[in-house]
Amino acid sequence: MRVLTQSQLNEWLDDLATRLRLVAPVDVQGRLLYRPVRDHEAIAWGYERSDMSPKTWTFPATEAIVTIEQGSETQINDAPPPDPTVIFGVRPCDARAALAIDALFLEKEPRDGRYAELRDATTLIGLACPEMWDSCFCTVVGGLPNGTDGLDMLLTELEGREHGQSYAVQVLSAKGERLLAGVTVQDRDVALPEPKLTEGLPTLSPSSEWKAAFDDVYWQRLGDRCLACRACTFVCPTCRCFDVRDEVASRRPGHTVFERLRAWDACTSAPYRRIAGGHNPRPTPQSRLRNRFYCKFMYYPDDFGPLGCVGCGRCIDTCPVSIDILEVISDVARLAARESAEVRA
Amino acid sequence: MSKVYTNPMKPELATVRGVRDLATGIKLLQVTLDDAAAMTRFVYEPGQFAEVSAFGVGESPFGIASTTARSEVIEFAVNRVGTVTQALHRLDVGDKVGVRGPLGNGFPLDEFKGRNVVVLGGGIGGAPLRPVIQSILDNRGDYGKLSIFWSARNPDLMVFTDEYEEWRQSPDTELHLTVDNATPGWEHSEGLITTLVEGVAPSADSAVTITCGPPIMIKFAMLSLQKLGFASAQNWVTLEAKMKCGIGKCGRCNLGDQFICLDGPVFRFDRVEQLLESFV
Repeated sequence: MRVLTQSQLNEWLDDLATRLRLVAPVDVQGRLLYRPVRDHEAIAWGYERSDMSPKTWTFPATEAIVTIEQGSETQINDAPPPDPTVIFGVRPCDARAALAIDALFLEKEPRDGRYAELRDATTLIGLACPEMWDSCFCTVVGGLPNGTDGLDMLLTELEGREHGQSYAVQVLSAKGERLLAGVTVQDRDVALPEPKLTEGLPTLSPSSEWKAAFDDVYWQRLGDRCLACRACTFVCPTCRCFDVRDEVASRRPGHTVFERLRAWDACTSAPYRRIAGGHNPRPTPQSRLRNRFYCKFMYYPDDFGPLGCVGCGRCIDTCPVSIDILEVISDVARLAARESAEVRA
Repeated sequence: MSKVYTNPMKPELATVRGVRDLATGIKLLQVTLDDAAAMTRFVYEPGQFAEVSAFGVGESPFGIASTTARSEVIEFAVNRVGTVTQALHRLDVGDKVGVRGPLGNGFPLDEFKGRNVVVLGGGIGGAPLRPVIQSILDNRGDYGKLSIFWSARNPDLMVFTDEYEEWRQSPDTELHLTVDNATPGWEHSEGLITTLVEGVAPSADSAVTITCGPPIMIKFAMLSLQKLGFASAQNWVTLEAKMKCGIGKCGRCNLGDQFICLDGPVFRFDRVEQLLESFV
């Protein structure tokens, strides 16, 4: 298997950073974020899970999707092509989240060309998780701490004194192969270490069981706690709802440039589903919070294939009122069991 | 070799060809796409919608109020209720807008052939129904009796009033008007559209109904039609939402696992009833 020592990896990353945009986990005043780095020294080595996922680079929080130029004539222009970007240190759950968003933007017609452009310009180098950390539950939603789905390459830190500080390299796509071309690697006979999995996690109910729990008073009680702060959505690597609006980019006499912005939106906000004239078919925090969970575990997989959750656990850590998606998963399983017991009785 | 990335969120540049008042606070905006090939491709069915941009403000979805058969321009009825519609109301002939569409599905008018058609329009909800009415009138022999129930909160808000005479004159066609609040000079019914429909009591035999209006009107119209013997599978509705993309991506318009923009906006009502979430 190909192996990179830490110094070989550092050299390679430093070289990549001179040729294209290298993005990696960085400690930004105590928050772990994916940011462009100039060399390997800027990387927060030894990090666990980042506070925000690298989604910000393939589906930016705010992005101009077209520009509109109004002068003597009006012109609508495409956004400039994105810079080639390599994201280093992507956790396997976040790579699966990118695949979930791909299912909607790329596989479901019409294909979103702007998103495709960003995805094509981005290479994902994963770093396997040695264990599931607090609030991680990737195994509940079909992932693994060392999963390869959605990655162009996966590095796994090798254990044991004989390896020193080094990484096993799994190349997973042509993009990954191109990136590694010409890089000095060692060829060693190594066994990949098995990650430590958290035991005793709940089992996710199939979408039919979610359907049965839809009208349960449970959602009322859970939603009573929701502050509609939308933090869960903004830290989520799979949430993809967006708003569209225009803003002035520049203005001089007789000439204005507007940017049409695509910006992250959240189904938990009150105005989200409101229609012209003021009617809101999802009028309560309870109905909006329920929609968030149903989107993830029923609508999204039914409509597009993948689940709308990869078990990263960020929303659990972020929610100010301790609404816990993993608890919701086990509560729905319990509700479904109760329901079927009632049917039998 | 570089790949071509088609951005479905990029609007076509369009020019305003005409603006006229339809009702208080409601204007009819007539546009053509600047690119002749794009205009040729812009073929639409009654019931479909488009996203119209007021540059610098944003985009909003509007049911297309014209038919390809009758109109060389694309028409939108714009009710001034928010920032985009306010900006669109300020436009004049020659001004530029953006148009993306046609989007969503249309009414299956071919399926309705040979049957009596009952149309229920509430307020600005009349806009996407006008092309239905026009298409039936233009192919009058293909359909049975056409009963139009048309309503608004008050007489000033009735849309397409200058076309009522044409509708009435068409063979086997009746037009029933009502307003919630009559004003002096109003010669038609006063009261809710549901009362009017139940009073006239169109037959459910070999009939389909088409309803567009505010959600609360649709809800009660469906109950009235049920009383008259219409099965849910005979009733078609068109639903609305503030779709940001109109192409099933932005998430704004989901009704359970359905997207109003992609799976609708036209739905057979029994399908709406089966959804996990209520449209009201």
